[in-house]
Amino acid sequence: MTQAAPQATRSFHKLRVGETRLEIGGSAKTIVFDLPGALCETFRWRPGQHLTLRFNLSGEELRRSYSISSSPFSDDRRLSMRITVKRVEGGRISNHINDNLKAGDKVEVMPPFGGFCLDPGAMRRRTHYFFGAGSGITPLFAMIQSVLSDEPHSVVHLVDGNRNAATILFKDELDRLCDAYPGRLSVSHLLSSPSLWSGFRPWRKGKIDAAAIEAVFAEYPPYAQDVQYYICGPGDMNRFVRTALTSLDVPVSRIHMESYGGAVAQDDTIKGMAATARVTLGDSTQSIEVAEGQTLLEAARAAGLTPPFSCQSGVCGACRARLVKGSAEMRARMALEDTEISKGVVLTCQSLATSSELEVVYE
Amino acid sequence: MTVARMMHVLPVEAYTSQEWFDREQAQIFSKLWRFAGFSEDISEPGQYLSVQAGLNNIFIVMGRDRRLRAFHNICRHRGTQLLRAVGKTQKAITCPYHDWTYDLEGRLVSVPEEAEEFTGLNKNCLGLKPASVDLWRGMLFVHPEPDPGSIMEWFGKVEPHLGPHKVEELVEYPQAATSHDIKANWKIVVENYIDVYHLSHLHSGTLAMYDHARAKYGFVGPHYAFWEPLAEFYARDVEKNAPMPLVLPKDQLGASVPMLFPGLGLGESETSWSTFHVIPLAPDLTRVETRTRVKNASDWEFSTQEWRSGAFWGKHISGKYAVEELGEAEDPMTSGDFMAEDVYACEQQQKSLKSPYFEVGASAEQGESPVRQHQQIVLDFLEGRR
Ligand code: FES
Ligand code: FES
Ligand SMILES: [Fe+2]
Repeated sequence: MTQAAPQATRSFHKLRVGETRLEIGGSAKTIVFDLPGALCETFRWRPGQHLTLRFNLSGEELRRSYSISSSPFSDDRRLSMRITVKRVEGGRISNHINDNLKAGDKVEVMPPFGGFCLDPGAMRRRTHYFFGAGSGITPLFAMIQSVLSDEPHSVVHLVDGNRNAATILFKDELDRLCDAYPGRLSVSHLLSSPSLWSGFRPWRKGKIDAAAIEAVFAEYPPYAQDVQYYICGPGDMNRFVRTALTSLDVPVSRIHMESYGGAVAQDDTIKGMAATARVTLGDSTQSIEVAEGQTLLEAARAAGLTPPFSCQSGVCGACRARLVKGSAEMRARMALEDTEISKGVVLTCQSLATSSELEVVYE
Repeated sequence: MTVARMMHVLPVEAYTSQEWFDREQAQIFSKLWRFAGFSEDISEPGQYLSVQAGLNNIFIVMGRDRRLRAFHNICRHRGTQLLRAVGKTQKAITCPYHDWTYDLEGRLVSVPEEAEEFTGLNKNCLGLKPASVDLWRGMLFVHPEPDPGSIMEWFGKVEPHLGPHKVEELVEYPQAATSHDIKANWKIVVENYIDVYHLSHLHSGTLAMYDHARAKYGFVGPHYAFWEPLAEFYARDVEKNAPMPLVLPKDQLGASVPMLFPGLGLGESETSWSTFHVIPLAPDLTRVETRTRVKNASDWEFSTQEWRSGAFWGKHISGKYAVEELGEAEDPMTSGDFMAEDVYACEQQQKSLKSPYFEVGASAEQGESPVRQHQQIVLDFLEGRR
C-alpha cells in the first residue's frame, strides 16, 4: 500500500454525493460518496476512521468529523464510503446535512484518519466486544462488518444502547449480518426508555453499566482468548464503560475507545506562555508568535498558515504535529495514544506553549 | 564404528535413550501449543487449572471478564509452584512458601515484611511470567510464550480436514474418560495411531465397521489428517445400528482420526468425539489420557439406541482371537477392545527395541507412510528445520 503524500491526505477534496438515505424515521441520514478512481488510494480507510467535512454556511466555515460507517473491504470501494449523520439539536451541520444534502451535491471532504481502528487479519482469531450508544455505532459498524468479512476465525459481540427501538441505527443491517454470519455475531440491544407500544423486545432495559456488561460476558463468554474491547458513545459513556470493564479485570491495554460528540474532559488550568514557534508545514518553515493562552493551532492560523484541523476539541487528531523542540501542554489529548505522546506528538488545537521557543512539524 | 540401527527415519535410540527424550521435551513439547483440557474445565471466574506442558508448568485462570489468562506456575521469589491441579481462587494467588501474592493479571501485589526485608524492591519487575492460552474446537491449549501468534497459524490449515462435528454442542461423557500408562516410547504410540496398515489386521474384530480400503489420509504441515467412511454393512442401517445417538448428519458419516502435532489424537466418529492425549513420561513410558464427548441427549435416548443396536454389535465386534483359541479370558487379544489391542501392540514392540538382534523390515509403501513422515517431522523439529 502506498502512502499518499501528506498534503493530499490532509487537504479537502470535492466529492460528489452518490446517494442519500433516511435512517430511523428521518432523524439521521446516510450519505454515500462517489469516489473517483483517482482518489481511491487517498481515501483508503481503516475500519473505525472518520472523514472531516467542510461547509460554508452563511459565510462561515464549519468543519465536522463523521465516522465512516461501512467496511473498506467491500467489493467496490468507490461506491461504499458512507457516513451516517444523526440530527443534533441546534447542530448547524448535522441539520444542514439532514435537511439539504442530496445526491449529486458536491461536498468538501478531508481524507480519512483517526487512530480508533480495527485492522482485521485473515489468520487472527479474536473475540471482539463492542459497546456503542446512539450514533457511536457508526465506526463500530464499519469494524463489525470488516471482522465478519475479513477476519473469518473471529467472533463479534455488540452491545448497543439506545433510547428506544425507533432510534436504533442500522437495526435492519445488523439483523441481516446476524443471519449472514450465524454463530459469529451477537447483538444485544439495551433501551433506556423503551416504548410500551413497540413490539421490539430489547435484550435488557437501562444503560450499559457494570451489571449489563457482566451479563453480556456471562451470556457470551469469550471463545477466542485474544479479547479486544471497543467503546464508542456520547458524553460520559466511554469513561463509565471503561471503568466498568476495568472493575471486571479487563486490562486497559485491551480497551479501545473514541469519544463521540458531547463534552470531552478538558484541563482548563493550563495557561501557557507567550512564545516563538518555528512551524514546518509541507515544504516551508516559518516563525510565528504564540500569545499566552493561545493554542499552537490558533497562532498558526492567525499567522496566515493553513494547518490541518477539524474538531478543535482534541478528539479527531487532524491537527496533530510533532514537537521537536521546546515544551507544550495539552488541555485534552483524547485522540492520542500514550506511545505517540512519548514520541512528541501533540494536538496543536490543544497545545499551549510552556517554553519560550518551540519547533513544530506537521507531518 | 557401528552403524546406527534405524527405525526407518529415526535411529532406534530415539525410542530408548534419555538423551533423545530430553531433547524432545525441550525442543518439541516445551515450545508448541499443548492440549490442556476441555473448555468446560474452567467455566467460572476464579477457576484455575495447571498443566504440565513439556518442561513448563502453566496455569490457566479465568478473570471476572471471563477471559482466560495463563502464567508460568512459578513463584517469582524462589520458584515454588503456586497452584496445584484444579481449584478456585478469589482475586489473588498466594504462594504457600512465603506468602508472596499475585493478582489475576500476574502482578506481584504483596510481599510480607517488605519494608523490613526488601529495601527498594521493585514489585513491577516481579510479576508472574505470562504464557498464552486459547480455546479451539472445545479444547484448551497453552503455549509457553506470551505472544506466540494466533493459534490458527498452528491449526488453521489442518482444520478443514477435520470432522464436521460441532464440538461445542456435544457434551462430555465423564465415565468414558480413561488413562493408560503404556510401557512404550511416545512415538511408538503415535506411530500406532497413524499406522493405516494395521487397521484391518490388529483390529480385524474391532474396527471392521469402517471401510479402511477407502481411507484418505496425509500430513498437513506437522499435523496428520485421516478420514474413512463407514463400512457398507454398517452404513446401510446406521440409524438403527449406531451404538449411540448419531452426532453427524447422514450424508457426512464416517470417522476422522487426526493426530495433531505433537501427540494429540482426535477420534471424531459418527457417534462420539474424543481426545487421545499422548504425554511422554520417560523414554519407555507414555501416558495416554482420553476424554469423550457425545450427543447432548437424554439417558433414555442413549439406552434406546444401545438396546436397538445390541444384537448388531454382538455379531460384529469380537476379539482378534477367540477365547477358546487363546485359552485366557483376560487377554487384550480376546478383549474386543481396540484400545487394549493397540496398547498391547505398542508394548510388545517396545520390548524388542533393546535386543541386539532387533532390526526393522520393510515398511508398507502407503499404509505406513505416515509413520515414516512423523519420524521425519520429529527429526526436523530437533534439527531446527521446523
Ligand atoms: S483538530 Fe481535532 S484534535 Fe485537534
Ligand atoms: S517461594 Fe514463593 S513466596 Fe517464597
Ligand atoms: Fe490401532
